[in-house]
Amino acid sequence: MTDDTLPKLLARNARAHGAEVALREKAFGIWRSITWTEYEARTRAMALGLLALGLGAGDVVGLIGDNRPDWVMGEIAAHAIGARSLGVYRDALDDEVAYLLEFAGASAVIAEDEEQVDKLLNVSDRLPKLRHIVYSYPRGMRKHEDARLLPVSELVRAGDAAHAADPSAWAQLVAGTRGEDVAVLCTTSGTTARPKLAMLTGGALVRHCKSYLRADPKSPQDEYVSVLPLPWIMEQIYVLGWGLIARMKVNFVEEPETMMADLREIGPSFVLFAPRVWESLAADVRARVMDASPLKRRLFDLGMKLGLAALDRGGRSALADQILFRALRDRLGFSRLRSAATGGAALGPDTFRFFMAMGVPLRQLYGQTELLGAYTVHKEGDVDFDTVGVPFDAGIEIRIDAPDQNGVGEIVTRHPNMFSGYLGALENPDLRDGWLHTGDAGYFDKAGHLVVIDRIKDIATTSAGDRFSPQFIENKLKFSPYVAEAVVLGDGRPHLAAILCIRFPIVAKWAERRRIAFTTYSDLAAKQPVLDLLRAEVEAVNATLPAAQRIRDMVLLYKELDADDEELTRTRKVRRGVINTKYGGIIAAIYRGDRAIPVDTTIAFQDGTTQRIRTMLRVISMRDGTAPALAQAAE
Amino acid sequence: MAAEPILAAAHVSLRFGGVRALTDVSFHVNPGEVFSIIGPNGAGKTSMVNCISGRYRPTEGRVLFDGRDITHFRPSRRAGLGIGRTFQNLALFGHMTVLDNIMVGRHHLLRHGFATGMLYWLGGAQREELAHRREVEEIIDFLEIQHVRKAVAGTLPYGLRKRVELARAIALKPKLILLDEPMAGMNLEEKEDMARYILDLNEEWGMTVLMIEHDMGVVMDISHRVMVLDFGRKIAEGTPEHVMADEHVRRAYLGEADEAVAEDAAEAAAP
Repeated sequence: MTDDTLPKLLARNARAHGAEVALREKAFGIWRSITWTEYEARTRAMALGLLALGLGAGDVVGLIGDNRPDWVMGEIAAHAIGARSLGVYRDALDDEVAYLLEFAGASAVIAEDEEQVDKLLNVSDRLPKLRHIVYSYPRGMRKHEDARLLPVSELVRAGDAAHAADPSAWAQLVAGTRGEDVAVLCTTSGTTARPKLAMLTGGALVRHCKSYLRADPKSPQDEYVSVLPLPWIMEQIYVLGWGLIARMKVNFVEEPETMMADLREIGPSFVLFAPRVWESLAADVRARVMDASPLKRRLFDLGMKLGLAALDRGGRSALADQILFRALRDRLGFSRLRSAATGGAALGPDTFRFFMAMGVPLRQLYGQTELLGAYTVHKEGDVDFDTVGVPFDAGIEIRIDAPDQNGVGEIVTRHPNMFSGYLGALENPDLRDGWLHTGDAGYFDKAGHLVVIDRIKDIATTSAGDRFSPQFIENKLKFSPYVAEAVVLGDGRPHLAAILCIRFPIVAKWAERRRIAFTTYSDLAAKQPVLDLLRAEVEAVNATLPAAQRIRDMVLLYKELDADDEELTRTRKVRRGVINTKYGGIIAAIYRGDRAIPVDTTIAFQDGTTQRIRTMLRVISMRDGTAPALAQAAE
Repeated sequence: MAAEPILAAAHVSLRFGGVRALTDVSFHVNPGEVFSIIGPNGAGKTSMVNCISGRYRPTEGRVLFDGRDITHFRPSRRAGLGIGRTFQNLALFGHMTVLDNIMVGRHHLLRHGFATGMLYWLGGAQREELAHRREVEEIIDFLEIQHVRKAVAGTLPYGLRKRVELARAIALKPKLILLDEPMAGMNLEEKEDMARYILDLNEEWGMTVLMIEHDMGVVMDISHRVMVLDFGRKIAEGTPEHVMADEHVRRAYLGEADEAVAEDAAEAAAP
């Protein structure tokens, strides 16, 4: 049998390439290299240390914190002793952390620092099975006296002692891991309910990564910067799968705040960002150009025009590269990119074109956690940004269930390396006869590419019978640098309307330059010039849409949508159900035709304080050109 | 008395012409303490700190540091002995990077000067700079300012500049650090962060802290002992609870109306 688990792959790499660099971490301002030998040694120590704590096969080891080598090593160590790893998002709230760890029955957690340990201790009365909390960073831990706490240095010391006592123990552990055992518990994104835990075996993970690598080959020369959340399936694929199989070098940034600077220093050859990040990068570039000198602005406009025109002809513009794109790629840290991907949600075609024109070889991915993440991708030289490409290889079967006259139906997939069911669930309604029903609507185009439209339940129909995808229109709206979030309404209603959140830093800068005084986010979002600005943005989007899909009314919300308020998922997808309930009053008023909606609400901040907001939301209607004047008269 | 006080002020008075900024103030700070000086505007808090750091020389009285009379020492010599400080109104080098600003804090620890520094590789100046850079990086990590390491100090927002100034003061590796209103002008979140840094500094790095602060909540939360000044005179000293309960303090500082206190007193006096 080949190396079908992560511990086996690690041991193989340490044997054959021990002195080569496997990981890098920036600490104290310096990139430090970790060789395969060191990688294995620390993982071995953590594994033997966990074993000495009494953990073993069938246990669950939780991991929470920023992306760090200790997380990755802790995860492989857990697999080596036959335990399952469960990654928890680092910004998860107490309640979410408690739910996941309780549900999985975690007996140990490897936490990064005091912030995470505090969370665990806060909810520890709900976690009777939790016996050990291992932490990496001792800062601020002096105040805690809890028998479960253990610094990682002591875990490693115990493991090293165990290794000295029995040097063959590690090799036996590694040899004892089996590809058919569940190794990873992976949270599903849960746009609807509590996240479920998909059980992934080591073998499936390794084989699926190899299948992906055939579509997008990587080598030890490739550099990757780990900035996606590690609990997410795709980061598991890249950092653990590709890192161990293809020996792609994985770099860990110093702090989340230093990400862009660190990214630029490394110059990765591959990146995957969520659509939201690509969008905010594009918006940031545009915002900076607005601040630049007139000459630079003109060069930018010219470069973009040439670049986009060349892209439409299927090529790249050398002139645009010289005057604009080379510098832009360098600024963004994309100079050495050989492949780039987006996934997790749909990316607006305009953003896609922006980066393609720049020379970022962007490709769309599509997949689900249950199917080990992505399973379709654009083949090199066959990129069509309306589609998500083709399956990695022949082993992946996709069919369209119950297609309508246009061939649109539910996307249903199976492949040999799927998940092994949800933890704690015997019934699995989405999995029938080995096929996973994704709940996404899509179709195959003439070139055989899969096109994903939206979630089936999110495809909306107006009361006049016109079907539309709110997400598609939202992505168009979000391409504006001024729009941070957009929610398009209109299902079962006579026409479409939108709730928009301004992108505060950029609108604030815009307002400052025009000497518009404002205090808070809510205040800024209620200013007449801001309303006019956003109205113009919406009208520009409307011009690109068929008449039945145009936004007729819009409001600017008094706060940003936030995952902490459950309005977005942790991967920042809009939760429509929550929005419809929470802002039901506002939505009803919009469709009643009210011109102004009184709001009196309380919002909670991250530090626990609350603020009462009383304001008047003005509804802007695109129907008549006189709306701004009317609104002014109403003041 | 447990340990020898690290700092003692004995009958310190300070006059500017006819203005009496400080009148016969005596106090001491024990090693490992967080000691705060509070008082209304113009009470003489900053004057007191300046007498300790050496910017002012007391008209009368003495200042002792580690049992040594430092009343007539120049500020640079006091820094060398282990007294670091931050300023109420920031005093950073605005055009220099954060890193350079913090490196300045280590200036008095450098052995190499202009002449030997010219033989950068030969004379060991490079090795020395590396060692100091390592210390500075630990401070950067401690105060969580990695993301602005190379930013020009003058371009940073106020709250961050405050943190950089603290970093520079820590870089001195002082035994006693004087913080002049470390939280002035900060929002709640920044204040909480700063309070945590001060506590960590005290408890994990073992630095003795003497702090002037207006925010009573913070002072009462993190100080071991508090001294209250009013019109240049010490009116109370003790634990936060003790000081809070003091009637003079409430009258002078906590804004309790004189009448209310007078009424209380009258009620108390009534049978």
